[in-house]
Parts: sequence; structure tokens; C-alpha cells
Amino acid sequence: MRQLETKPFDYFVGIYSLEELVTRKSRVCVINILGNESRKVTPVSHEYSGGNVVAGVQYGRHGVLETRIGDIPVYSSVRDVMKQGHGFDIGVIYLPPAAVSQAVWELVRYNKDLKRIVTITEKVSVRDSMLSRYICQESGVDLIGCNCLGIANAWDQVRVGGALGGDNPAESLKKGSVAIHSNSGNFTTTIANYLNMAGFGISTAVSSGKDVYIHFAAAEFLYAAQNDPRTKAVVLYVEPGGYYEKQAIEWIRERRFGFNKPVIACVTGRWKSAIARPCGHAGALAGSGDDAETKERWFDEFFETPVFDPENPVVSKRGVRVASIQHIPDAMRAVFGKIDEKQDFEASGDLSLKPWIEDRLVRLPPALAIPAVRAIPPYDVQITEINKHIGANVMRQNMRNKSGASRIDPETHVAVLNDRSVLELSRHGFEENLYYALARVMPGRRDIRLMNLLLNLFLRMETEAVESGDAVRDGATPNAAIASQVARIGDSPFLRKIREYSRLLTDLAREFGMQDNDKDNPDLESLIPDRLLTRGIPEQDDLFAPLLEEVREHARPRPPLKLCRHILDLAQVKGLTVRDLPEFLVAAISVNLFWNPMLEKRIHRQVAEEAAAYLFAVSRIVAASVTDRKTNRYWAKLLKPGAVSPAADFTGTVFRLLFNRKPTGAELDELRYLLGLTVTNGPGTLSAKGAKESVSARNHIATAYAGFLTNTGLAHGGNGFEAVAFLLEQFREVDLPDPALRPETLDLTALANRTARTYRNYKQEAKEKGELDYKRIPCINHPVFKGNEVNTDPREDFIRRELAEKGIGNVFLDFYHELVRELFNEGVTNNVFCVNVDAVLAVIALKLIWDDLRSGRLNPKQVQDLVFILFILGRSVGTTAEIADHRVRGQDMDCRTPEKELTFVM
Amino acid sequence: MQISGLRFGGKLLELVEFPVARSLTGAATLDEIQAMLDRHGKVVVKPFFYGGVGKKGRAGLIRIAENLTDAMKAKEELYFATHTWAGRTVRSNGILFEEFVESDIEVYFSITTSTRLRKPIFTISPHGGTEIEALPPDKKRAVWIHPFIGIKSFDLTNNLNELACPEQYISPLVQHLPKLWSLYDDYGLTTLEINPIRMRRENNRFVPVACDLRAAFDQDNPAWRRLELPETIFQSEVTPFESEINRLRTYQGQSDVLELNPDGSIIPFMFGGGANTAATEILGKKAVFASDFGGNPPYEKMYAISRTVFKHWYDRANMILVIGGKANNTDIYVTFKGIFDALRDHAAKNGKRPLYVVVGRGGPNLIRGMFYAKDILERLKLPYRMFGHDSSMIGVLEYAKRIDDWWAAKGRTEFARKVS
Repeated sequence: MRQLETKPFDYFVGIYSLEELVTRKSRVCVINILGNESRKVTPVSHEYSGGNVVAGVQYGRHGVLETRIGDIPVYSSVRDVMKQGHGFDIGVIYLPPAAVSQAVWELVRYNKDLKRIVTITEKVSVRDSMLSRYICQESGVDLIGCNCLGIANAWDQVRVGGALGGDNPAESLKKGSVAIHSNSGNFTTTIANYLNMAGFGISTAVSSGKDVYIHFAAAEFLYAAQNDPRTKAVVLYVEPGGYYEKQAIEWIRERRFGFNKPVIACVTGRWKSAIARPCGHAGALAGSGDDAETKERWFDEFFETPVFDPENPVVSKRGVRVASIQHIPDAMRAVFGKIDEKQDFEASGDLSLKPWIEDRLVRLPPALAIPAVRAIPPYDVQITEINKHIGANVMRQNMRNKSGASRIDPETHVAVLNDRSVLELSRHGFEENLYYALARVMPGRRDIRLMNLLLNLFLRMETEAVESGDAVRDGATPNAAIASQVARIGDSPFLRKIREYSRLLTDLAREFGMQDNDKDNPDLESLIPDRLLTRGIPEQDDLFAPLLEEVREHARPRPPLKLCRHILDLAQVKGLTVRDLPEFLVAAISVNLFWNPMLEKRIHRQVAEEAAAYLFAVSRIVAASVTDRKTNRYWAKLLKPGAVSPAADFTGTVFRLLFNRKPTGAELDELRYLLGLTVTNGPGTLSAKGAKESVSARNHIATAYAGFLTNTGLAHGGNGFEAVAFLLEQFREVDLPDPALRPETLDLTALANRTARTYRNYKQEAKEKGELDYKRIPCINHPVFKGNEVNTDPREDFIRRELAEKGIGNVFLDFYHELVRELFNEGVTNNVFCVNVDAVLAVIALKLIWDDLRSGRLNPKQVQDLVFILFILGRSVGTTAEIADHRVRGQDMDCRTPEKELTFVM
Repeated sequence: MQISGLRFGGKLLELVEFPVARSLTGAATLDEIQAMLDRHGKVVVKPFFYGGVGKKGRAGLIRIAENLTDAMKAKEELYFATHTWAGRTVRSNGILFEEFVESDIEVYFSITTSTRLRKPIFTISPHGGTEIEALPPDKKRAVWIHPFIGIKSFDLTNNLNELACPEQYISPLVQHLPKLWSLYDDYGLTTLEINPIRMRRENNRFVPVACDLRAAFDQDNPAWRRLELPETIFQSEVTPFESEINRLRTYQGQSDVLELNPDGSIIPFMFGGGANTAATEILGKKAVFASDFGGNPPYEKMYAISRTVFKHWYDRANMILVIGGKANNTDIYVTFKGIFDALRDHAAKNGKRPLYVVVGRGGPNLIRGMFYAKDILERLKLPYRMFGHDSSMIGVLEYAKRIDDWWAAKGRTEFARKVS
């Protein structure tokens, strides 16, 4: 049987010189041009190569692939491409493996001028590769691949096929005198890069692929390299499997073609002799006599010199084998010296270890401590620019039923906000947790002061509006009344200006260095926008005076506050004043507050720039939570200038506003527990969903809080209120002056036993009547913490131990524990139920209002409202985190439920 | 993916009606074994291994018994035999009793791909029963096969004649051997080796009988699935970790792993076939596995791969290594995001561990990717060093090994004390 043979080969090879492998004149048709990989890679290749792709094929479709130098027409078959008159000599195949041999056939069948086919596809079967080869051999077409990254000619600035040189081919494929043939696509570029640094450019680079079939292999490559006047030396990167290299060496020795250029060969993969299944390159699997060590021997014998030693760079005129690709530049230098040739251009670097980015956590021992260096261009500029991107990088995604803020720990079943459980949060004050919700890190002492300053300030703003809102709240649940107050905030001019100034200060601070100890006296004048400073007398506003004082006096200002000071000084020197001074001061303080978390990439810069809006909304929620404002002494005091310290502890402020009195230290602790425990219960809660869905609809921050508020209801405060009502009923006849102290006369076990027996009788009676929905005792048992002989809710246990450590007693909580035991003793329960965390909320709330209840200053409706409001305030902290997270991470309308998940109920 | 022996090899040959030595499994009754002895005079007792296992004869694992007592003794000795071959030790999964085919000659025959000719070839020798590599060139022939026609009878005849094969055997071989191309070509085989073929006399003619077989399948050619071989026979080749990662395998690759040393200290995310080859070589036993996640994997796939990696190795390793050359097409930001998001999520669920992270990479979106990793590592308070493509990849690997040694010796303890 006859077959095409091209001397000196036993088979067809259509390439005489690497120079002609691919040129500026080559014209290309890409099959599956609109596939995922091709539609990204082909435009880059096309642009780099001066527009060499004449057409593409996307089976069954027509259209174009857009590139920066013009659209590439796309047809539904090769026949259509030919019919439209698009001549081409190279076909590139990006199809899935099963379709590759079909496409080869199609290209050969319809294009008589076809010279080469480059197949990028990975995992083409050996059988299909065999068939493709046969078809091409019969037709006089050269195949490159499969599983390769194509071919490139650096002299003509052309690449065909895959992504050699990545998204910036000119960076790696510099014109020069070395030809590369590599079994690894990635190493083709990497080796080119290594050589570039050492001053060697590329003539032609071929990514051969490393399947069982390598269609354009070492022998034909070396033959074409010999005939290429541009090429002075060759690099071969070789992996185990196949006799391609042995064949090439044998033919050179047999003088089938007069090859005399030096070769640097790198063989890796000794470890592959011990495996029976390929990993990565399908053909890189040693059979008999083609493992890495054997291949090393082939080359060493050919070069007649041992493996290259950079310390003693001996090479022969034939070249040398290197143990790893890092020695290629040194070996190439030695080889060029041997053949008396000069490198192509000045070396730009070396391959020594140069860390670009390093941590500051660990001090490495001296032998390992390589200092970080400035990255090579253009990466140095990119690092600078990315460093300018203050704040975390987050990818926008669908955030429906997802959260980057809260979750339930699957081990403990305790809710976690950012990194901390609600148990940990319950040890912290309201303002600390609010800061943490936004910053994802707890505040320092000075941060707490600034938080208090802003929250107290916001509380004292727009008081008339709050009071007028009270007039129309009759009949509304507390959440609805508060929501109405918050919803009207929207994106007020006050908040909008703060946001703009926050952005300005962030940008300016970034320009002048972001560390606290960076430049102190920047030349600001040229960078401050004209609109910031204005003529006129500064407005005097007592409300904001403490902010100005703080800006001037703050002990350790961060760059935003420093800048703020510089700007104020500059204004003074110029006889000008800062326009919108209140907003400017709020912006300076709030950016200063969130500066470090932003630098630490904990939060997106948007969160820092909008921080004031969150604090403002939460402060308004507190303001609107005052239940009986007319009689609330603290509210009245708050309105009097100078009566309340501007940086007063905000948790104390909340206590005073809710309970209309000054708290004791223990009561403040109890309020912290109350609020901390309810911060979050994960992103699946109605409250979180309400906020997130509002964000998803692209509402303002304040409106998203309204979403949270309208998505809460009596069901939320209900359990707590029911527990309070239950306890009131049990303690109706008990003389209890102070719930912190158990009177000697009070036998809690007896009281609990009486409750248990009463409940047992009630339950029996209900069951006998067939009432299955009989009332349960609130706040005992839990769907997770059950089934043991004695059960404990770890959250309740945590608080109970905390209270005990602080010497804070609570008779109601003790009663609950007696009760669960007595319920078991009386046979009502099969084991000792846990007292769940809701009970903690109820007993603390009841303790705090006990005096007012007994004295009649609070009625049951107010108690119900108060319990509910306590929940709302606690949850507003978690909601803050959810809103901030969803705003930077989510997408418009991402909370919609897909139609397929919807059910119509008959 | 390989099989050896006649347990399943026999089923393959039956598909193309190629005669196979009759066999009985280890569960055969004494009467059945005796009947085989009565019919053939001798039985061959062989252990059965999953996967492709060679050199059994040289290891003394093939016994020929002439009576029931010897046959049962061989069964007892070989039933759980162990065999070390190609660097790994395998255990027998029972035995097979095969008929002893009386024959004057043993023929070697195989079909595979020749990387010299770039074509499929058959190799034949009438001096079989031994390793083909050991035979001198004048005792064997390799002949290319036309992909569309298959094995040509005249090629067999001519070459057997040249090899001085006794004439009486040539015709039966030429009659049966071409069938094997159908088996090779139709069912996704990359190697089919029958050694030995013994010539059984039946009346006045000879029949070639396959007495052992080794076959390798192309995992990129789904045709082998048509054979409906039980999955278990390949199980010994795949670990649970590999199996889980393999579920994510697509034609784009991006998820090739090979478990190397479960006690290794470095979790290596390798990108690219070259990096896989070079990095595994440098890391040696420190690498838990070899991998090639190159080929621009999408975020979801990289995240799923990484999640599986951390699920299996997070608790046992000292170091996470992300290594590759200068990527051509792989989006570094997307891959790093997948890896480090999975690390973050795994740590959030399972607790933080003091792991050192070394990165050596280049390619599109490199700096964005590195900074994404940096953000997460700082959040997790994990130490790291990141190198670009201007540092030698091999140098980074060697540096990572040295850090790993120091980390294991005292760095980790010092670090844990510092951050706690």
C-alpha cells in the first residue's frame, strides 16, 4: 500500500522550515469558535497576529465573534465558510473530543488548500487521534496537537491555536533565536519567559501536546529548526512515554537530515515510571523503555556530556540536558558561548527567588527569610493599583439564601455573625457589636468612643420628626411604627453628602499613604476639589461641635482624621470654610472608624463609605423605640444641649431610653446579654430575609432596615412575651421585691412543683378532650438539644454561667430550672427538658421591668411592646451585617424565587 | 485502566470469537476440577489480580498441576497471594483454574500504538511465552495496521513465514488473529497483548488458544464501557479521594489527580501537565497527590475540587502549595478564588489549622488572584509567600520543601503560640 512520504521521513511532513510553520500570511479558520475557551482566546490571537482569522465555525449557528480589530464572521459549517469565499490554510479545532476527528475530516474534505490543523482539545481518544492522523497523512496536511496550545512565530508576531503567551503574547513571545518544542503548553510560555529574562528571544514555539500521538514531534521539529535561518538553538521539553525523541536522535545520527544546531533538552517525570494511570498529559505514561530515566540517557549519550551543572557549566556543541527548566537560561548562555553566538538582547533579570507578596505574621529563620521585592513590570504597577483598591475584593453573585455575614454553626447550632458566635457577642455592648457587624472585627477603645459620639449625635437629630411619628403609631405594632420612621430616611441629602465626603477622604488618604505613620503634611491644595472650601463664616451648630472637637483632639488619628485636620487648617489659613462642615466631620470620623478593617481587606470600601448611613438608621431605630416618650425623662434630657455627654456609652443610652431610668452595672450587663443573644439567628430568618430582599430590590440602606422591620412581627417577640406572661402568672402570689435575690421564704422547688402538677393536670384534661394543640410551657425544650436524660441548651448554659460569675442572680431563671426538673418528676416529660435560650431573654426582660410592673407604671401592652423592641434592637445589629454584606456581594433581584421552585396550591 | 488474566480477558476474547483456554473460578467443585484434569491432563492455577498486573510467571505465581491434590495445594497458596510489580504490591482476589493447552509453540501477539511509526501496529513472534522485549529483533516483527482495514492476512502470513513459524500453525493464526483488531478498535483499547497463544490440536487442524491476556483501556474513549466490565475490577486503581475528584472530570480535564502519599505534608494544587510532572518530581514524598488543574477551570469546578481536597487532606497536611508556570489561558483570579474560598469555608466549618501557604504562579489576572488569596489568608491568619513567574518554579518548589521542613520542625509550634 502506498502512502505519502516526504523525504527524509517515512511519512508526510509538509514543513521544511520553522520559518514557514506559521507566518503573517497564514489564514485561519477556527472550529467551535464561540465555545467557552475559543471565544476568549481567539480574539487575543487574532489581534496579536494582525487579524489572521478569516472565519469561524459554530455548528448550526451564524454570527460574528467581536474583536478589537473587527468582527470575525461565524458560519455553521466549513462548507459554508468555503462557499463564502474565505480561503484559509490552517484549521484550529476547539471542539469536544468526540467531535475532533469529524472536524479534521470536514476541514480536509472541503478545503483543498489546507496545510495544517492545530487541535487544542484535550482528552481526545487514541483512536480518534489515529484516525485524524491517517486522514491528514492521506491528504498532505500537517497536524499539531491534540491537547496542545498551538504554535507561535515571534518574528512575525503570529500565534495560531491556543493561548501561547497568555492574554499578552508580546510579553512572553519576544523575537529571538531560540526555537521551543514542548510537551507542556504551559511550559512553552514559561520557558520562553525564562529565556526572555536571560536575554534570549524566540523564533518559533510549538506546544506539541503530550497525548499518545504527538503528530508534530521532535524529529520533524528539529528538521524544520535546522532549515530555519532564524533559529540558532533549540529547547526540547520532554516527558516520559513514546519514542519520538529516540527516533529524532537516531535519525540525526544516521544523518537523515544534517542537524547541527545545539539543543537544550529537559526531561522530567521520573516518578511516572511507578504509575499505571496518566495524570495530566495522557501520553506521559512510561511503557517499556520510554520512562524518564531512559530518555535522559538517550540525550546524555547524544550530547556526550553529563547533565548540566550551573556551577560548572559544561556543554557540548550538540547541547546539553538540564535537570529542570530553571537551568535552561544558564545552559543556553553556555551553549551560545560554545557556538560563539551572542544573546538576542540584554538580560532583564534572573530566576532567583523573589517573593512579591508575603505575610507579616511569621518570622522565618534567616536561611529562609527572603525579603519581598518589587514585582517586575507591569505587575508592580498592578500591585500598587490593587493596593489602592482599599477594602476587600468580593465577587458579585446571587445571594439568595446565602450570606457572607451570618450562619449557624453546624457543630454547636449557635448562630455566628462574621466569625463570632452570638454568645461571644453577648459579652459586648450594643455599639461594639454594631461596629463589629460592619467592620468584621471588634473596635478598639478609641473606636468605641467615636461610635458613641456618632450614635448619640444621630439620636439627637430630627427629634421633632420622631415625636410627630409617635402621634400616629396607635394600633401599629412596634416594628411597624419604627419601620415607618426609618423608611422615610431614604437616601437623605445629609447621608448622601456624608457618603461623598467619605469617598473623597478615602481617595485622598489613599494618595497620601494608608498607614498611620505615613506622610504628615501632604500638599493638599492641588488635590482638594474647589467645591469643598468656600468663602463665608462657618456655620455654628452646637450639635456638631463635639465632632469638631473630636477631630482636633483625637489622640491617635488615622489618615482620614489627619487629612480632615489638614483641610480644616488649610481652610483657616486661606480664610475659607469647609462647605457642609457637619457632613464633612461625620464622614471623617466614620471613615477613620472603618479605616483599618478596610486596609485589612476585611470589608469592602463601600461599607466604610456608607458606614454613617448604617449608624444613622440604627440610631433612628433606637430613637423610635421609646415607648412612652412623654414621660421619658431621659429623652427630655437628651434634647437639652449639654445635658448628656456626647460620647456617653450608647448601651447605657439605650437602657435609659427603654426603661426610663439609669441602669446599674449588673443591669447593663443583662441588657448586653439580651441584645447580644438576638443579634442573629442566621440568614434564613424572616428578619434577615426581609432586609436582604429589600437590598436585592436595590433599596437604600434605611429602606432595607424597614424591610427587616416589616418582616418581623409578634411571632418574634411572642415567645418572650408569653414567657413573661407565664412567669407573671406563676409569681402572682409571690412577694418578690428584687428578682435578683431569692427571699428566704420562697421555696422555688415547691413553686415549680405546683406549676408542674397544674400543667400535668391541664395537659391530661386537654388530651382527654382530644385537644392536640394544648398550650405548651414557653421556653423549655429544643428541637436539637433534646433526647438526653438531662438536657441543656448550651446558649442558655453559657449565659447562666456568665451571670453566676458576675454574681447576678435571677429568681425567674432559677425557677425555670426547677420547673424542668419537676416536670420530669411529675411525669410530664420523659426526660429533663432544657431551658432554652428564649427563657434567658424572658427572665432578664422580666427582671428589668419587674419594678415598673409591680408599681403599675407599665401595663401588659407596654410589656409586650418592650419585649418585642428588645428583640428588634438586638436583631438590628445582625441586620446591619446582612445589609452591608448583601449590598457589596449580591446582585439586583437576586432574591427572586425561580419559577420552577414555585408551587400553586389548590 | 487495565485488566490482566482470563477471568475477564476471556470475556473480551469471546466477543470476537477468539478461542480462549477453558477456565474455572476458585469456587469450582472438586468434581469440576477433576473433570478438567481428566480432559486436559493438567490444569494451570493462576492468582487473579484486579487491574493490569504482569510478570506473574517470573514471580512463581503460575502453577501447573497434574492432579487434584496439587491443584488444591496451588489454590491454597495462591488464593491470597501478594505480588509486587511496577513498584506496587497487590493482593490476589482468588484464583483461576485454566486448561493446560498442549502445544509445540507459544505465540506472542499484541496490538498497540507505535510512536515511531505514528500508527497502530501488531507485534508477533512464534517464540512467545516470554517478555517480548527480551527477544532479539530477528525473532519478532512489528507491522503497521491500516486504521480503516485492520490487520491484513498477508501481513501475518509474510511475517510468520519470515519468522520461520511452522507452516501448520500459520493458517490457523491468520484465520483468527485479524479478529483481534475489532476488539482493539471497537472497545477503546490502547494495548491488547495475548501471551502466550498456544496451538491446540483439534482433529487434524490447530486452533490458536489464548492462555493469558493483558489489556489497557483508553479512559478518554467511552467505548470500553460497552464491555460492561464490573467497576470493581478497576477499583484497586482508584482511591476514594481520586474517585471523588473523578466525578468532576469533564473532557476539559482540569481535575486530574493521582494520590501519591496520604502521609505527605504538602497539599499541592498543580496547574498544567508540565507543572504536574516537574512539581511531583521535586516534591517527592512530601506531595500528598499529583494534580493537574490547568485548562482554565471555572470557579464552581475549582471550588468543588478544592473543597474535596480540603475534606480529605486539610487535617493532615502542613502546607498548601499552589504551583504552576505562567498560565496561558487559566484565569488566576478565578482559580485562586475557588481554592481560597474553599479553604476559608472549610476552615470556618472545621476550625483553623496552622498551615503555611506557598504560591508560585503567573498568568492572566495574577495580581488580582494573589491579592484575593492574601485577603483570605490574612483573615485566616495563615502565613504565606507568593512568587510570580520571574522566580524559578523549580526554585519555588525547593523553597516550599525547605519551609515545610522548618514548619514541621518548629515553625508551626512557634506560630500557633504566637497567634493563639
